[in-house]
Amino acid sequence: MFRSLLASTALVAAFSSVADAQSAQDVLDTYADIAEAKYEDSLIAARRLQAAVDELIANPSAEALQAARAAWIAARVPYQQSEVYRFGNAIVDDWEGRVNAWPLDEGLIDYVGTSYGGPSDENQLAALNVIANPQFTLSGQEVDASQITPELLQDQLHEADGIEANVATGYHAIEFLLWGQDNNGHDAGAGERPWTDYAQGEDCTNDNCDRRGAYLSAATSLLVSDLDWMAAQWAEDGAARVALMADETAGLSAILTGMGSLSYGEQAGERMRLGLMLNDPEEEHDCFSDNTHNSHYYDGLGVQSAYLGSYTRIDGTSVSGASLSDLVSAAEPALDAEMRLRLYETMHALGQIKTAAEAGFAYDQMLERGNAGGEALIMAGVNGLIAQTQSIERVVVALGLDGIAFEGSDSLDDPSAVFQ
Amino acid sequence: MRRLFLALGLCILPLAAIAQTEAQLSVARVVDQHILPGYAALERETGALAALAQEDCRALSPDLRVAYGTAFDAWIRVSHLAFGPAEEENRLFSLSFWPDQRGMTPRSLLRLIEEEDPVIDSAEGFATVSIAARGFYALEFLLYDAQVMTAGSDAYRCALVQAVTADIHRTAAQINAAWLGDFADLMRSAGQNERFRSDAEALRALLGALGHGLEYTADLRLGRPLGTFDAPRPLRAEARRSGRSLRHVQLALQSLAEMAALITPARDGIGARIMPQFNAAIQRAQALDDPVFAGVSEPQGRLRIEDLQRRVRGADAAVQAVLAPALGVAAGFNAMDGD
Repeated sequence: MFRSLLASTALVAAFSSVADAQSAQDVLDTYADIAEAKYEDSLIAARRLQAAVDELIANPSAEALQAARAAWIAARVPYQQSEVYRFGNAIVDDWEGRVNAWPLDEGLIDYVGTSYGGPSDENQLAALNVIANPQFTLSGQEVDASQITPELLQDQLHEADGIEANVATGYHAIEFLLWGQDNNGHDAGAGERPWTDYAQGEDCTNDNCDRRGAYLSAATSLLVSDLDWMAAQWAEDGAARVALMADETAGLSAILTGMGSLSYGEQAGERMRLGLMLNDPEEEHDCFSDNTHNSHYYDGLGVQSAYLGSYTRIDGTSVSGASLSDLVSAAEPALDAEMRLRLYETMHALGQIKTAAEAGFAYDQMLERGNAGGEALIMAGVNGLIAQTQSIERVVVALGLDGIAFEGSDSLDDPSAVFQ
Repeated sequence: MRRLFLALGLCILPLAAIAQTEAQLSVARVVDQHILPGYAALERETGALAALAQEDCRALSPDLRVAYGTAFDAWIRVSHLAFGPAEEENRLFSLSFWPDQRGMTPRSLLRLIEEEDPVIDSAEGFATVSIAARGFYALEFLLYDAQVMTAGSDAYRCALVQAVTADIHRTAAQINAAWLGDFADLMRSAGQNERFRSDAEALRALLGALGHGLEYTADLRLGRPLGTFDAPRPLRAEARRSGRSLRHVQLALQSLAEMAALITPARDGIGARIMPQFNAAIQRAQALDDPVFAGVSEPQGRLRIEDLQRRVRGADAAVQAVLAPALGVAAGFNAMDGD
């Protein structure tokens, strides 16, 4: 839901010399190069996850499950840093739900605890349990799920019945299959799915281990193919890169829209503050794996990276070049300093959440009712994100980015409505 | 820091007052004629609600239900002002947790009631409770939901109604006090303080609130029950248990139109290009005879609600395409960005 970002004509005139064609082009090149690198890294890490998952299914063991979990955690690092591309680029936003949809009604996929409940007002399929049911009815139609394939997940189950909580694919579906529900409430600890949920023959726990393995395998191969597709969109002549380059002003606006929307509405609001105020451990973004502190941290790092035009790849090499920071620095050095300071302050606050979580103070515990330390940690992150959004708005004005109707803007999808 | 800048701003104010800019006049009109009266009414009506609940806390009490309706009305009229004092201390969230996509409100209330949790005994304790069990939408469940209004003991539920209403009033009073204390002055003296570094920044905050209210009304109040043609979702209508879904749309549109009229400068026929869009939306909302949007499930009723939604989006489009450029401001990010 983007708004048009309209700047005063006076400011456009004042700074039009700044965003001159050549440097704006360079900034967009860097932004697209970093996108390509982030999605390539996400793909590389997802392939490693796929290898670990294949091993778990072929030779189930506690060690194999642990290795798959470690590969999932590692795969999140580059992907979360790419989220800043989502809101500014329609091609990413339209695709994102396939790989990172959340929150999910996990009872759609597999067994859940008794406190989970059954079908709800909001979602009749909340407890469908595809792994246990090879035949079921979906929106009045009989579905044959005797073979669990990528096509079944992608085309029939994902967002079934038009409900977003029916998440059948992506990182969080895989996360649930590797960890299971986190039944520790506000205590530390992640989900404790036993490796024997993938064991063969008599050792199989919680039934249907073969179908569970088939689901995990199908979901992981979908993730790989989806990331492969997105990396290609940012390669030379890829659709996302071409769309970004089509208009320099719109391209620069896309960068800032992605930064502001992720910072404010999505991360500060939906993901962090709401979870805190609900005191609900299930409101954690990575709730099965207890990895939420990393999810928040790498989201923030992605926003910073979009401004500074610099990204460190998972092999340690760096991708960097002309940046928004350079443009702002030329127009208003004080504003560039402010923007960089706000981004650093946010990263410091998100870093403290990550540090505390890694030292044993789990994100679950931070959310607990009356936990003053946890609230202070999370709110420092929220306040940092809100403050940096104000600076992002100032940058939009300073660069004179005017009059862009973004893809996906409900209010502007139908311009004729304006003068009816 | 803020105090220092404020003091500075106030010193300069008399000079600025001699020749107020068009932007300053717009901001002052909205603050003085829309925001401050709105929050004063909210403090007053929530105070009356909390006081009445101390006397009569029964869910079926006609007086209590009337007071609930009046206070909720006052909230809806200011619910779009999602910046400044309402955003600080998470006050807006604690007054209005909706939509509740995972049934957290009934679950949280039922848990408190079953456990007879003593956390509700003090204001400080209750302020730590999940927002799903606080604010107007939780109160609606306590007064109108068949399961919640009969769960557990009468005494505990009564104490819970009193705790929720007192908490609502306290939060409303805090927002009002913060506006009267310094935030109204910060907006009026925009350009002379660090919070609002220019007139344009104050205008941007107001325009953002206006756009937020229109998007919220179109996408959530109307969009959630509409669902899709194949899967309409009448159970998702806002505050349907107390029959207030359409009323909220009507109240919100009237309040947003008031704000739009006040912010619009009297020149170049700008108002004549904006206000008809608002009036068209209001007219359709008033003509609709479907208090909880039950009509989303049948073709004729659905058409009317979709038409209303289109009109609300038309008003939003007019704000973005006509009003924002006329005022020379970039619309900022709002809480509806993201997904």
